[in-house]
Amino acid sequence: MELTNDIYQRIVTAKIFIDENFHDTIDLDDISGSAYLSRFHFHRLFTKVYKRTPHQYLTQKRIEKAKELLEKEGLSITDVCNTVGFESLGSFSTLFRRMNGYAPQYYRNLAYLKKTLQDQQPKQFIPHCFIESYKL
Amino acid sequence: MVTKLSHTSLFVNDQDKAYDFYVNKLGFKVNTDAKMENGFRWLTVTAPGAPDHEIVLFPATSEMNGLDEDVRNALTLLLDKGAMGAGVFETTDCRATYEELKGKGVQFKSEPKEQFYGIECIVNDGCGNWFSMTQRKEK
Repeated sequence: MELTNDIYQRIVTAKIFIDENFHDTIDLDDISGSAYLSRFHFHRLFTKVYKRTPHQYLTQKRIEKAKELLEKEGLSITDVCNTVGFESLGSFSTLFRRMNGYAPQYYRNLAYLKKTLQDQQPKQFIPHCFIESYKL
Repeated sequence: MVTKLSHTSLFVNDQDKAYDFYVNKLGFKVNTDAKMENGFRWLTVTAPGAPDHEIVLFPATSEMNGLDEDVRNALTLLLDKGAMGAGVFETTDCRATYEELKGKGVQFKSEPKEQFYGIECIVNDGCGNWFSMTQRKEK
């Protein structure tokens, strides 16, 4: 079924709604409401366009933001969990590990090591052919 | 046996603008952002579906990039003329991506059109390169 421009704009509006509000407690009613579509109709259309359900997209968005925050200093794991919209540290940690292969703290440690090495020895991150060719 | 492509250089005329386009607008992830002793910035990003393929956002106009002035000028001319067609991005839905990026102020050379291989539009990165943005036909 061909989607109209109006429907595309509504679906995109809903995606942007998730992008801008993922840190709050939002559900399918809020998201479909932002597109002025019924829950059922919206769920089907969003999934058709983005090849994942609104809930899968919301979860992915939260986990991606969590990774970004874990790569920085200043926030505890609990703070990161709350900041990206999870209510339970346990479910956040379990989901994080399932999606990334590491627990949040381990991910943070790896990111810290990489950043330290990047600052101290940047050439380790550049293939030698680039260093030679561009005299870096 | 060659198995895959891990790095691709993409000459850009402004690294900060390139960062904004690829990271903030397209949603690519920064892989490495390191400053060399001479001030040269090594900046690479990866697309969400290809985390092992680093795109090097190479500053074509920087005096620190090791290229001689003639080469820098030639690259600058090509980028300023928009003559660098760089590749193809794949998207789950061309029209939705087009609408979203247009709303974010991204410039396009062409709107989504049906092609025999899918739906395609042409996007400018704002740093001298254009890409096809393609939604492949479902098999």
